[in-house]
Amino acid sequence: MSQTDSSFILEMRNISKSFGGVNALHDVSFQCKPGTVHALVGENGAGKSTLIKILSGALTADRGEIIFKGKHHLSFSTREALNHGISVIYQELALVSKMTVAENIFLGREPRKVFGLIDELLLRLEAQQLIQQLGMKMDLDKEVGELSVAYQQMVEIAKALSKNADLIVMDEPSAILAGNELEQLFRIIQSLVNRGVSIIYISHRLEEVFRIADVVTVLKDGRLVDTRPIKDLERAELVKLMVGRTLEEIFPPSTQQPGETVLEAKDISTDTILDRVSLNLRKGEIVGLAGMVGSGRTELARALFGADPLTSGNITLNGQSSVFDSPSDAIKKKISLVPEDRKQQGLFIELPIRNNITMPILRKFSMWGFLNRKKENQIIELVRKKYSIAMTSGSQEIQYLSGGNQQKVVLAKWLQTQPEVIIMDEPTRGVDVGAKFEIYQLMRQLNQEGIAILMISSELTEILGLSDRILVMHEGSIVAELQPSETSEEQIIEYATTRTFAAT
Amino acid sequence: MKQSFFNKHSLIFVVYGLIMVLMVIGALNSERFLSIRNLTNVLRQAAYLGTAALGEMLVILTAGIDLSIGSLVKLCVLVSAILMDGNPDNVWMAVFLTLGLGISIGLIHAFLINEFNLSPFVVTFASLFILHGISLTITTKPIGRASRDFLMLYSQKLMGIPIIVYYFLSITLLVMFLLRKTVFGKHIYAIGGNLSVAQLSGIPVKKVRYGVYALCSLLAASTGLLWLMRMGVGDPVIGKELELNAIIAVVIGGTSLFGGRGTVIGVLGGVLLLTFTDNLLVVLGVNQFMSGLIKGIIFVTAVALYKQDDRSKGGFSGP
Repeated sequence: MSQTDSSFILEMRNISKSFGGVNALHDVSFQCKPGTVHALVGENGAGKSTLIKILSGALTADRGEIIFKGKHHLSFSTREALNHGISVIYQELALVSKMTVAENIFLGREPRKVFGLIDELLLRLEAQQLIQQLGMKMDLDKEVGELSVAYQQMVEIAKALSKNADLIVMDEPSAILAGNELEQLFRIIQSLVNRGVSIIYISHRLEEVFRIADVVTVLKDGRLVDTRPIKDLERAELVKLMVGRTLEEIFPPSTQQPGETVLEAKDISTDTILDRVSLNLRKGEIVGLAGMVGSGRTELARALFGADPLTSGNITLNGQSSVFDSPSDAIKKKISLVPEDRKQQGLFIELPIRNNITMPILRKFSMWGFLNRKKENQIIELVRKKYSIAMTSGSQEIQYLSGGNQQKVVLAKWLQTQPEVIIMDEPTRGVDVGAKFEIYQLMRQLNQEGIAILMISSELTEILGLSDRILVMHEGSIVAELQPSETSEEQIIEYATTRTFAAT
Repeated sequence: MKQSFFNKHSLIFVVYGLIMVLMVIGALNSERFLSIRNLTNVLRQAAYLGTAALGEMLVILTAGIDLSIGSLVKLCVLVSAILMDGNPDNVWMAVFLTLGLGISIGLIHAFLINEFNLSPFVVTFASLFILHGISLTITTKPIGRASRDFLMLYSQKLMGIPIIVYYFLSITLLVMFLLRKTVFGKHIYAIGGNLSVAQLSGIPVKKVRYGVYALCSLLAASTGLLWLMRMGVGDPVIGKELELNAIIAVVIGGTSLFGGRGTVIGVLGGVLLLTFTDNLLVVLGVNQFMSGLIKGIIFVTAVALYKQDDRSKGGFSGP
């Protein structure tokens, strides 16, 4: 409708934005009611961040208008957006780590007395009030850098509140949280909503969207797909809206029977929590490794990869007893590890793509220490085609790729070493639904080539959807081996959180 | 886990502890060491490095640096000596113009850094050479004269303590006050702590830069005046390696070269440690060249220890 509906706090109408010919947003409209949690979902590249940047004033739309609290705007600056009451909390928290909580909340807007002196009393009073409004207890004088990310996030929220935000946009707030920190966040969101603040909640995690949101807007390829109340939606439907595919189609099934055992571990322990773990991996299968944070999954991966020395037990590769002295030893013996935190552990984040892909195999195209550029380029082109990586050239810096494509590069890197076993730690973390599907397809492709995959994942749908077998860990040991078709999320969680050993 | 005050500033306690140790060594080796005369001399000596170090600290807190203060001090000694020319009527004029020169140089530094996006290292490094060159162009031999009453300020005492020491202590208190209690001070820490967050928070980064660089050069200029009080003439030898010593003092005192962290008490400790070391070497009759070696070692140790310290206190904890 063309009149302003005053029951909305925010209306974005017919927003279009393109960057040099590429249409980031096309005629997107959506409305947000006051005192609601409005989820914004969509694959990476769907246009969510562009939309949010326009809302925050960081970008200006080419066409369309924004109606906030009844007033029409064509665009505004970040300052203006703040003044109107729009506050955005980004994933990379904007805090000065060496300053205290109170100082951070009022950074740049410190209450003053004469002569530029800080009104410390007022600062503390108001900071205290804000923290209390959130229902939290916090030490105002603690350096923000010493807080856990969950509490840092709270400081950011307090900061937004101190600016009298009527609308707070949270960009993937749960990406950095764990366990009941998430519950805390939800409680805070609830209390904000009760006070009439509107929240726009961007997340990849659909379980959260169903938990916390009242309405959801789905974007796809820069266009609005739909806006619907959550209670009218089912999870499968939401996924379909986002991706255009059903859940079943997302997890490609195995196309063959698993082959012979390629890796076998017997009673292995390390200096970590790992306690006499035994398992085997067969050719062409995906074994899902589930468990709570701290259950020893990553430690198991490191033990199998030779990153941590074994204090007991042994590992057999293709029937032969093997000891891995180090990761490079493991690589030579055809085991690869794709680590959890690709930014820190998987990629040379500031180097171009070519360096990242070819780092483990530089020897292959170097003669007497010199690199053969031509050969390198051939390999990169091959890789690009094979894994459909969206990149402009081998010289593009990897930090500019989307999460999904970065993950593909990491995979491609390790595949160059022609492994027989690949251990993947959270392969689709921070990757949107569409790219997830591509990575799963890739994994099945690898299966067809006879490669065994051990997949560590905290997403139970992924574990259930993709694994051929499921192993559950708890406090350093494997407590259950399950068949995906015979178990459920609840059962996996139960094993992951109790001490009983279940016979298969 | 809340960190106790002691824990948080443990290394500064070490610095002051070391000073105590030096004093003990000095006392054991020479009966003159703990005399009022020697101690007030040391404090007065500290004022020369200390005033400059406090200015340098302000700049370093913003993740910047000023490498030109040695040359600026040199130039200021010359300029003030020439302007004063032994005439007591010229004293105020000479003082104001010299301080004005200092402020101007600082503003120019900040201007170049702000508007041309040049790094503080590059700007002040160039300034070091330019100011040095100007100084030597003016003269290569002592020139000008302080007036008699100005000269007397060096040895003048109030209740047994040299006036220069009062000056130094007032500057110390002022800087401490500035950093702790004013918005300007908070902004300095913010800019050094995380520049992009500071910018996003609406902190007037450029203005703050003008402020710190001007203050740094102002304090350096006042150090030049202190030297004139002591030497009586404008000697172009003055100012050698001052910036290096100031930076060493600042770092030993726990100020991070990357900005955002540091205390005045710490810098004071660094200054005193260096000054006592020098004094002790003289009292012990040790070769002056050892001084450089020792300072270098202290510097590296301090940097390593502070880094270690930072790492062990890192990581996440509850509220």
